[in-house]
Amino acid sequence: MIKTRTWIVIIAAIAVAAAGAILLIRFFGAPGTTAEIVKGGEVLYTIDLDRVSEEYEIEIGSGDGDRNVVTVKPGMICVSSADCPEQICVNTGWASKDRPYPIVCMPHDLVIRIVGAGGEADAEAE
Amino acid sequence: MAKRIVTDAVLAAVALVLFVVEAQIPPAVPIPCVKLGLANIVTVWALMRIGAPDALGISLVRIALGSLFTGTLPSFIFSLSGGLLAFVAILLLKKLLRENQIFVAGVLGAIFHNAGQLIAAAIMYGTASVFVWSPVLILSGIVTGLFTGLVAQLLAKKIPKTIGQRKN
Repeated sequence: MIKTRTWIVIIAAIAVAAAGAILLIRFFGAPGTTAEIVKGGEVLYTIDLDRVSEEYEIEIGSGDGDRNVVTVKPGMICVSSADCPEQICVNTGWASKDRPYPIVCMPHDLVIRIVGAGGEADAEAE
Repeated sequence: MAKRIVTDAVLAAVALVLFVVEAQIPPAVPIPCVKLGLANIVTVWALMRIGAPDALGISLVRIALGSLFTGTLPSFIFSLSGGLLAFVAILLLKKLLRENQIFVAGVLGAIFHNAGQLIAAAIMYGTASVFVWSPVLILSGIVTGLFTGLVAQLLAKKIPKTIGQRKN
């Protein structure tokens, strides 16, 4: 049998490794500054966040209770409002090169992810 | 047999109530998949104390009814993939764990529950980018799993062994 202390060490080691990975993500960020807005498995927009000069909004959804308003600023993107119940996508906040965590809206099947190169300053429909 | 069905049904009901009550609380952390997972207390306890078939049944009934009451089809798929992966992970590790190490099952269950949800999300959304969240979800799984696992361990200590025990 494995000692309880050994289990605690194993769990602590996994926690440290995960914390290390979070720091690495923070330092290195995404390979690029391009954001992709994906809904239903299809890329709707590709935006190069570095080439954005002025803030603008994009409305996403068919208007049938699946609305997400995406705000794009120089270097950053977020969901600024949505009509989903949990508001996780809104509360996740900004995604950027330094913070390349995809924004997920589960009920609306929407993902905003930061990827490598490509894209335009203005929201470009694919 | 009748006693076994009643015990499992009561446990499924307890898990369902925990799940529905937790769903009413607004998410504390704005990260998909991060929640306490109170219903996992029942799964971990049942798996460690009663047995794998009963725990699987309790878990599946809870997931099906829980999604019916609170969720949507995607949330059912996320729950199911997370629940099944957590179940398999604990089942594989069960033999290595003593009575006072049930909390390890809680941690393992929480981490693999999140892993199952991420895999389901990657397939459903068609993007591997969701795995960027994995270190955050591993950390949160350790915290929430320690909590639910310790509760399950305390329950295993306090609840008489005759409950859920089979004669054969």
